[in-house]
Amino acid sequence: MSNVELIPVLLVVAPILLATLPIVLGLRFERTGWSVTALTTTGLFAASLILAQRVYSTQSAEIYGLGGWDEQFGIVLIADQLSMLIVVLITATAAGLLAFTRLAGPRGNTFYTGYLLLVGGLLGLTLTGDVFNMFVFLEIVGLGTYALISSGDGPESAVAALKYLILGTVGASIYLIGVGFLFMATGTLNMMELADVIQNGGLDDQQLNLIRAAFAFMFVGFAIKVAQWPLHTWQPDAYQHAPDGVTPLIAALVSTVSAYALARIMFDVFGPEFLIQTPYAREIVVTVGSISVIAGSTLAVIQQDVKRMLAYSSVSQFGLVVAAYGVVTETALTGAIIHLIGHGVMKAGLFVAAGVIAIGYGARTVDEYAGLAHHRPVPAAGMAVLLIALIGIPPSVGFIGKWYIAVGAVEAQAWSVAAVIFLSTMLTLAYAARLLEKMYFTPARNVDPGSHRSTDAGSPVATDGGASSQTRGSPDAVSLGMLALVVSVAIIAVILGFAGDVFFELLEPFVDEVFN
Amino acid sequence: MTDPITSIRPLAAVLVSAIAMVLIIASYRYPNVRESWSVLAALAKFGIVVSMLPGVLGGDTYRWSLSDSLGVEFVAGIDFALEADGLGMLFALLASFLWIFTSFYAAGYMRGLDEHAQTRFFAAFAASLSTAVGIAFSANLVTIFVFYELLSLVTYPLVAHNEDDEARIAGRKYLTYTFFGGGVFLLAGTVMIYWLTSGIGDPTVAFQTGGMEAVAEAAGEEDNQIYAQAAFFLLIAGFGVKAAVMPLHSWLADAMVAPTPVSGLLHAVAVVKSGAFGVARVILDVYGVETIQDLPLSVPVVGEVGLNVPVAILAAFTLLAASIIALRKDHLKRRLAYSTTAQLSYIVLGLSMLEPIAILGALFHIPAHAFGKLTLFFCAGAVHVETHTDYVSEMAGIGKRMPLTMSAFAIGAAGMAGIPLVAGFVSKFYMLIGAMDVGYWPFALALIISGVLNIAYLWPVVYTAFFESEDRHDAKPLLEFPPGGKRESYGVMPGEQDVATDGGDRDADEDGESDEAADEDDGFAVDMNPSDADVPFGPPAGDGDDARTEDTDVHNETDHHADDDHAEHGHHHGGAPSGGWKRHSPFSESTWLMLMPISVIVTGAVVLGVVPDHAIFLELVSFVVEEVTGEVLP
Repeated sequence: MSNVELIPVLLVVAPILLATLPIVLGLRFERTGWSVTALTTTGLFAASLILAQRVYSTQSAEIYGLGGWDEQFGIVLIADQLSMLIVVLITATAAGLLAFTRLAGPRGNTFYTGYLLLVGGLLGLTLTGDVFNMFVFLEIVGLGTYALISSGDGPESAVAALKYLILGTVGASIYLIGVGFLFMATGTLNMMELADVIQNGGLDDQQLNLIRAAFAFMFVGFAIKVAQWPLHTWQPDAYQHAPDGVTPLIAALVSTVSAYALARIMFDVFGPEFLIQTPYAREIVVTVGSISVIAGSTLAVIQQDVKRMLAYSSVSQFGLVVAAYGVVTETALTGAIIHLIGHGVMKAGLFVAAGVIAIGYGARTVDEYAGLAHHRPVPAAGMAVLLIALIGIPPSVGFIGKWYIAVGAVEAQAWSVAAVIFLSTMLTLAYAARLLEKMYFTPARNVDPGSHRSTDAGSPVATDGGASSQTRGSPDAVSLGMLALVVSVAIIAVILGFAGDVFFELLEPFVDEVFN
Repeated sequence: MTDPITSIRPLAAVLVSAIAMVLIIASYRYPNVRESWSVLAALAKFGIVVSMLPGVLGGDTYRWSLSDSLGVEFVAGIDFALEADGLGMLFALLASFLWIFTSFYAAGYMRGLDEHAQTRFFAAFAASLSTAVGIAFSANLVTIFVFYELLSLVTYPLVAHNEDDEARIAGRKYLTYTFFGGGVFLLAGTVMIYWLTSGIGDPTVAFQTGGMEAVAEAAGEEDNQIYAQAAFFLLIAGFGVKAAVMPLHSWLADAMVAPTPVSGLLHAVAVVKSGAFGVARVILDVYGVETIQDLPLSVPVVGEVGLNVPVAILAAFTLLAASIIALRKDHLKRRLAYSTTAQLSYIVLGLSMLEPIAILGALFHIPAHAFGKLTLFFCAGAVHVETHTDYVSEMAGIGKRMPLTMSAFAIGAAGMAGIPLVAGFVSKFYMLIGAMDVGYWPFALALIISGVLNIAYLWPVVYTAFFESEDRHDAKPLLEFPPGGKRESYGVMPGEQDVATDGGDRDADEDGESDEAADEDDGFAVDMNPSDADVPFGPPAGDGDDARTEDTDVHNETDHHADDDHAEHGHHHGGAPSGGWKRHSPFSESTWLMLMPISVIVTGAVVLGVVPDHAIFLELVSFVVEEVTGEVLP
């Protein structure tokens, strides 16, 4: 009983404390990082499942005040129906991804320190019940991300990390200004108390203005973190140049958790009533999201580098989520959260597949993917399934998110959003089909007939130059664990496609509470 | 209506070929084992479907749903459910029956051409059948959407099969059109229905024989009328893409780069009929005849017209326009593709007239056209495998070489044209009666004109095959000359030969369908054979002829190469070999793997035409019409 109540604290504190362990042990032993991280993340995953089970079976939020302080002053962690879904996604991704990084790298104990720090920060960001602590965790997440991105080999990684360092900090700072305004207006930082003050009315004009300014700052801050057009520029670089083992983690979790935090702020703190009452608030949110959908997909179509293409795809998919927030209906919010989770799962799988293909086949650009299905059937099939899921073809998790968002938009009679959502299928198809066609229906150039070895197919590519061709991939570099990871993520993406109602019911109590 | 019987059989019918797909991939090393999975799955599928037939005709339905068996709803408020009712049985029975013979034919065809990636081909084929039956048995709009999207997806590998530029481009076009139809229009329409019905109670998208009550009620409210109309057109447009209703038809002709079994079963039966079937579901089981009539559109000048009228006008236009385009297609499969476009619009037109007899005709046209068109495609494919001839203008005298195939072609063509004693007549007859019953004279007229056009574009094939010989045949005026004919009279010609032929050819190319790369040498086809020199308007047998012949040869070679990338075994590229066609007996003209399916299907077409009331389809169709409209018909 009491043990379960401690789990939220454990989830946040344990990874941050254990992050020191790889460095400490590294003084004596080499290669302890992976084992420490594997044990920690597996433990976190188990703990999050226990907590989730409790939250969803009792239908009540676990609220934990650290140190027994009064909520008004102390640090509060909230494990409710909304945050637990994200927590499970984080711990599962963090644990599963280790199957890839074990052999594919980056290696070294400091990498795993950063890994655990990032996981701890993400869990904190998800569970926190306090807007100032949210800023602190945003910064921890930022630090972890910088460290991981810059662990790549080339100078591009360092530049990409620097770019994220600058833009990410600007985003967090803008958010902090919003927090300041909020504190001025209400005198509290606790989310529940803020919600009480803001949503129960009785605000004078000055307070209302402050709160509106706070919302504007917070939204812009998160727009940077979530990578909404035109504030997305850090993301493609970061995703492309981060090491293959890092990109799945960042792509699946960092922006996802930021987008979750935005939902938390928008719906739990400010509340739907505020969004509807504030002039142009919804319109702006919807416009930002819709433009991101279109701009992100368009940019994705013209990319040559697969990881970069998938990065722009993230801009577009998060645009869908943000547009759904702006619709402000129960169904759309549910859809947005489902799409967040689904997108996290699919992108993690896609980037792992891209990594597997890069080390096993040496292909990093769309053209180099030619003939992949023939030479590497398993990763190609995994990637194909995930791309198809991303387009939103049922049964897949990509479809159910889109379904609820679309229903929400139509319910709100927001026809332009609805049109963008329906057309986003075609936009996603444009870049997904490009890759599918290359993998399956374009023979590799200069293939030695009857040969199944990539080294034969690879020679013309190597002459193209570029970072990727310095080392040719070989299938031996790909472990069974990596393939199993790709395949299982693909299967999960399809099976979750039948869980539309399960997700809906899990989220229903939270959404009901927000809207009533 | 009685409660549906809970049964796993609808699911089994869907899954049997999905399982076969896995087995096909697993046994990719053993071609004979692999092909036998196809045949076994087809037989099993047909068996499962037939086992439900007596029950369905007795008024029962068989239902399987995800929430009944696992307690999980697909998305909130919507079940993933399969239900075998009369209309679904019609489509499932047809697709699964024809698949049996197509499996044999496909094996013969693919082996005859020594095609690459056969495992992928057979796996995708099995998956297509799985999803087609899924569409047939879907019990609500979301379930049908799931299978509709999956069908687009799994047929894509079949269209892009050749892995050359032409196939890839056709594949892109295919994906774009079908996902625009499915992912955009159909999904939007489905969401609209969900939203409309949520306004008056629990949201629902489940089909109801004769129209969904919730939709009728929701559409009855004044505010909702416009949304109900929008949803109707979105749904029709969504299914209309696969049914190739103009202006959404152009993917179909391009998809003909696929191997012929695909063109036959999928692009004349399963895929395109899933569109026509979807239209039937929308008209009969979502909106229902009365609701559609209660939702008049107010059109300026004309006044109020029913929602069905725009659809019918579009369909009537399509069936005329597509027939006219077909007249000018030299590539046989493309000619058949436009014929399919036209024939599918018969179904849409018949349904949208909302008259019981017309609906009966339209629904019966689904199997009637399927048998006829499958025969035609099978014959075109057999000709391709045996002689590598794809162009009508090269087929002079081919009846000697392939007597049985071309005879079957002749019968199938008669069916398309609606000549009595073949299946197509019965359905068109009912549609005509229906059109006249409700006084839709223009549509009746369109049906009759289109019948004439059908003869005009199919008879030349039969004529050239049987009544012309490879060294003496006439020119094909519609193929070689500019639209509207030539100004010169015959008498003037000899003096102006050079100019006339060249000019004629150039003009013919600019006939407004420049996207059809394969047609660019429509007129050249005849030039290829020096023996054509005696044809009126043929190329002059003088200087410069050699150069041009060479040039056109190159053209033809690339075209054929695109068509059958791996088919060259040092054969000639279409047309009669030097020395003319060798005479073959009906038993030695091709492999039994292809002749058997052709004979069976053409027999089916005749049986449907001669004794329609003994072949199960008419009974099934009149049962459906009775359930939907309450009228008892023959």
